[in-house]
Amino acid sequence: MERAILTAIALFALVVWRFVFEGFQQRARLRPIPPPHRENDNLVGRCSSNLGLSCTGVGIGSGWGPGSYRIDFIQAESRAETYLHRVVALTGAMQKGNGYILDVGATRFQLRDRYVKRMPDRSDPKAGYEETCFYSAFQGMPKAEQIAAALLQLRNNPALFDKWAQKDLAFKADGQLFGRVH
Amino acid sequence: MKARILTFSAIGDTTLLEYDPATADIDEVNRVIAEYEAKTGAQPFDMATGERVEKVTREQNEVLMVHPIAGG
Repeated sequence: MERAILTAIALFALVVWRFVFEGFQQRARLRPIPPPHRENDNLVGRCSSNLGLSCTGVGIGSGWGPGSYRIDFIQAESRAETYLHRVVALTGAMQKGNGYILDVGATRFQLRDRYVKRMPDRSDPKAGYEETCFYSAFQGMPKAEQIAAALLQLRNNPALFDKWAQKDLAFKADGQLFGRVH
Repeated sequence: MKARILTFSAIGDTTLLEYDPATADIDEVNRVIAEYEAKTGAQPFDMATGERVEKVTREQNEVLMVHPIAGG
């Protein structure tokens, strides 16, 4: 009888150990693997022009500059907001809700995190709009500064909207092709 | 007063270059900018006007290197 109880305890311990061990293995498998560092001409991104679908982008880590820095996230966001406010004033944009309105000639752009809408004729709300997503080709840039960069670029070169609508490509501020997104 | 070339980055903003516009070798400043653009695709904008500039001059005190944007 004693022997049977000992055997049962040993079996139970074996079963428990197996579940615990498998749990650890499972967690180890689920741990995200950091993406490999990419060089200058590499861009990684998935984008959709449909509102509501995800639009994510990871860009260059140049090595010549701050691509891999991540020191104080809260301070970075705060400084980014400061720059965004400066750029909003500089470009004559207006904040509306969680987005920004930028008028360039008759065209109106509405920007928010990763998305930009273009209304060809702001005086005619029935004229409709087009929308695309955008993201910086520079890894780790705070959202506020991505919007600031987009505001500056659109104000100088509103035709960039058509470039950004092209899937898998990144463009410089002057409209030149910079690189292909993988 | 010092002039600076800066860029947006993961830490908010980063000064790439600081110089005295009265005495600095502006050709050298532009060479550094061209090198940075060649590597990252970023192009210079005058933060006083918000305009993109082809070449930096002694009149510009704050120039922001703006990185390429992708979309789709």
